[in-house]
Amino acid sequence: IHSEGAGGLAQWVLVELQGEVEPRQSGGLAGSLLGDLHYTREGVPVLIVGHHILYGKVVQLEKPFAVLVKRGAGEPGPAGPHMHYTVTALIKTKLLFKTRPKPIITNVPKKA
Amino acid sequence: GAMRSRAEVDATLQTAKLNPAELLPAVHCLSFGPQAGAGDCCLLQLEPGLCAELEAGRSLVIRGEKDEQAVLCSKDKSYDMKIADTSNMLLFIPGCKTPEELKADQASCDIIHSQIAGFSNNYWELRRCRPKLKKLRKLLMEDPYEGPDSRKDQTLTFSKYTTEDLLSLIQASEEEILHQLQVIDACKIEGYWRILEFDYEMKLLNHVTQLIDSESWSLSKVPLRTCLEELGSLEPREMIEHILLSYGRKYIDDAGEVYFEMHEDKICRAIAQMLLQNAVKFNLSEFQEVWQQSVPEGMTARLDQLKGLALVDKTSRPETIFLLKVEDLPEDNQERFNSLFSIRAKWTEVDITPYIQDLCAEKQTVGALLTKYARSSMQNGVKVYNSRRPIS
Repeated sequence: IHSEGAGGLAQWVLVELQGEVEPRQSGGLAGSLLGDLHYTREGVPVLIVGHHILYGKVVQLEKPFAVLVKRGAGEPGPAGPHMHYTVTALIKTKLLFKTRPKPIITNVPKKA
Repeated sequence: GAMRSRAEVDATLQTAKLNPAELLPAVHCLSFGPQAGAGDCCLLQLEPGLCAELEAGRSLVIRGEKDEQAVLCSKDKSYDMKIADTSNMLLFIPGCKTPEELKADQASCDIIHSQIAGFSNNYWELRRCRPKLKKLRKLLMEDPYEGPDSRKDQTLTFSKYTTEDLLSLIQASEEEILHQLQVIDACKIEGYWRILEFDYEMKLLNHVTQLIDSESWSLSKVPLRTCLEELGSLEPREMIEHILLSYGRKYIDDAGEVYFEMHEDKICRAIAQMLLQNAVKFNLSEFQEVWQQSVPEGMTARLDQLKGLALVDKTSRPETIFLLKVEDLPEDNQERFNSLFSIRAKWTEVDITPYIQDLCAEKQTVGALLTKYARSSMQNGVKVYNSRRPIS
């Protein structure tokens, strides 16, 4: 695994949600919206996904993660073709949403 | 789909009955990036030190052939890799800011469109492991070096390995591999790492010990220069120097001359192996007599020099001794214990320790291993260990 060259590694953030992610549209996930992520003035993350509000907390990871991207087979050696992985980013922070989502009760939409 | 606008974000806040005054002005609109579902990204949980290594620009390598469990190697350590499942969904998001970062950056724009790069419900976990070095010896034993006169080396064989070859085949870090090569007295011949064939190694050692004897040198002051002069016609100079390095400690005196302090224990041990490999077992007292006569003048042959090489059977009448080399035993903990208990049902701690010492992980003791893999009992007032399960 090699880290991306000079300039240092990007820092990404992990968002941890309960349950599974499913595409709402038939076209699959790519490009589709997940939701809006806000923070309160006290720094509490608030995620609005569909008809749910999720409250979470910012957690500094004791054991950071490296994000590995597969780069396909390298040159063959005595052990056979090597799979190369590149470290694209490091993750030292996660937003953990563990509380049960509060459903948003929608009113009758106002006229535009 | 189109990107969300401020108006849409505010409308959602209103529907959700959240008060914008209680929120930071910036909002991240999260959407799935084009490659998010492709599964090309995965997460690796880093043990202490590895994060710093990556940030310093150093590489980590994952090693393992199809039939091996993957091992991650840094420059000097090895880790087992295991998938850990979580019941949660982990989304990895580039460019997502924390509240601190947003507060610090007054100019942060209102809407941050963040694309989720990927997601997963599992990640790789690392656990520091013993480097898998048994294979190193196995590879080098495929074609041991028998000396320059051997016809074997003239034929082209592919069982020869360079440092790069070994790095790609052995599940260990480079430092661990280079260290092990030194421990097993491997040497580089024409760019390939080789182990000496035992008979050839003994032949070389014998040249040296005979020379020491005929010159009446002190065992702690064997001159390299004279060895090369006297023995250079019999064997390649590199081999003479190699055998001196394997069985002695090199030092340089004030005049700049190179000398070797010979390892009495290692020499006696090698001679014992030479004697023991010729039969299944030996009468202990006969063996000890022959062995003492075979070692160089001035050296004392002692049974404690044979730890991990030979085992004494004190229950047979007369007592016997036989060859049992720890490096011939399985590398896996459970398999090692199974193997030892099939050789002998009950072991004392003193007898078994040399055969399990190398299994100890960082900070693990022999006692801890025995507690885990064996059961203890008392026999004639002595504590002995036997298998936890029936051995077929």
